[in-house]
Amino acid sequence: MNPIKSAKKRSGSGRLRSRSDTITTWAFLTPTFLILCITAFIPLLYSFYLSFHSLKINMPNAQPVFIGLNNFKMMFGDERFATACKNTVFFVVVSVAFEVVLGTMLAMMLSSDTKATRLIVSLCLIPMIMAPVASGTLWRMMLDRSTGVINYFITLLGVEPIAFLADIKYAMGSIIFVDVWRQTPWVTILMASALKGISSSSIEAAVVDGATRLGVFFRVILPLLRPVMIIVLMIRIVDGFKVFDTVFVMTGGGPGMATEMLPNFIYNQGLKYFNTGYSSAMAFVFIFFMSLVSGGFIMLRNKVDRDMG
Amino acid sequence: MKKNYSFSISDTITNFLSRPVRYISLGILLISVLFPLYWLAVSSVKVQLDYLKFPPVFIPTRVTSQNYADIFQKYGAFSGLVNTFVIAMVTAVICVFFGSMAAYAIAKGALSRKLRNVFGLWFMIQKMYPAISTAIPVYVVMRHLGLMDTKAALIIMNVSFNLPLVVWLMIGFFQEVPKEIEQSGEIDGCNMWQRFFLLAVPITKPGLIASAILTLVAAWNEFLFATILSVNRAKTLSVAIAGFISDRGLEWGPMAAMAVLLIIPPTIIVWMLQKNFVAGLAMGSVKE
Repeated sequence: MNPIKSAKKRSGSGRLRSRSDTITTWAFLTPTFLILCITAFIPLLYSFYLSFHSLKINMPNAQPVFIGLNNFKMMFGDERFATACKNTVFFVVVSVAFEVVLGTMLAMMLSSDTKATRLIVSLCLIPMIMAPVASGTLWRMMLDRSTGVINYFITLLGVEPIAFLADIKYAMGSIIFVDVWRQTPWVTILMASALKGISSSSIEAAVVDGATRLGVFFRVILPLLRPVMIIVLMIRIVDGFKVFDTVFVMTGGGPGMATEMLPNFIYNQGLKYFNTGYSSAMAFVFIFFMSLVSGGFIMLRNKVDRDMG
Repeated sequence: MKKNYSFSISDTITNFLSRPVRYISLGILLISVLFPLYWLAVSSVKVQLDYLKFPPVFIPTRVTSQNYADIFQKYGAFSGLVNTFVIAMVTAVICVFFGSMAAYAIAKGALSRKLRNVFGLWFMIQKMYPAISTAIPVYVVMRHLGLMDTKAALIIMNVSFNLPLVVWLMIGFFQEVPKEIEQSGEIDGCNMWQRFFLLAVPITKPGLIASAILTLVAAWNEFLFATILSVNRAKTLSVAIAGFISDRGLEWGPMAAMAVLLIIPPTIIVWMLQKNFVAGLAMGSVKE
């Protein structure tokens, strides 16, 4: 049950609240509100302000100069921006698809509660809790063209060594692969805990009715997993758009612009080339787009919640 | 949907995949998880010459601790470790303390239904904001305030990004506290502070631990703001690793040692408190 919905039910109880409770409630909320206002909203507003200005922060005492909508005009005419957007969307769609399909399959295999599965789950936690910078460097080492161990395995199969991270054809695939390696366990754990919550009677009923194994999966298990699946998808997609660390340490966006993602592009524009205004404008468009995505998901989830009763 | 734990269920589900398929897939899974980790560990103790060998050295016969000595002596691993530790700990304490208070106010406090919904939605959306969108203004402001390269700056930003997550998690945990407990507290004349600290906090301890671990791991691994806001004194381990990439691309040994150092502490904590960690993941994402 999501908190928003259950809160609705609770407030129906109509308990009388003392005045001191009201004061305490707001006292409890104040530190969090203050922290978030100062560290999130004010920077966001400042970012909005900067997006209409030109500012080179590497110059001492540089002042923002108002340039109207020029940053936005520049953005929509900027091919690199378009490429970064395309790359990011491609990355998110492909990696999340792999993660959810693989994660669900593995969850089906790991949903029984034996010693072996518990051990496997414990081991699978490592890629997930590992810093993205660490998994990125680890795979960079393994995928290296001349000394990488993966290329050794490939030559055993009689294939020429591949420059995974320096070849336009393979760089994006490598980044996606590392993300899938890191994030699939997360999907697995969530799906496995959801599977444990499915009542066995519905499955047994289907089996008694003569459903095949695949039939049981697609007609019984999958529909019951739908609410969880939507939340998992939502979190993975939203997180996918935030990809930064892995790209930063593995390819730095290269070769060329082959793996340049939106967060990396914004970072480079703002803190490498010091086009602060331009970078802020992109950040703002990015946030706007992400709000649409999140809003869409929240609506979708509420609809599923209603449908499921 | 009520949770219905039964033990025959999992067999019914898993049995529909035939055994060989299951064993082979799990085998592939284990190899793909463990081999890279083994390779990292081995690389961190290999001698220089063994890196370029072909075929690669899978089981090193010569082992050295030179890489670990190097990262502590030359590459500032010690100060990195201290910085990372302090930032992660302080962040976790602040987030859990203030976050659980806010969550309690939203879940059990005297708020109208509408406000509850607005706040719940707000923290959910805030949780999804991409960090990069505030990176540039934060950089400009921190520079003005003279907070560049301080642990304080990194703590502030880590708190900012983990607080919504803790609030969101704890709302769920507090809602599971039975109404009767709250009411009995009220009858006994406890005010809201007492009900929070004496009743709600002890009951939701697993949730508090889960929030603390999730925050700890996130702050320990944080990279974006660490690389923007730290130069030298406040450098964390994640920034130190990335440093190997840009200036010394081929020093795999110290880089692997640094990565091992970065991975081990969160792994130990998560393994020790695995139940809480998994419960936290499930609560944060699958509210049912």
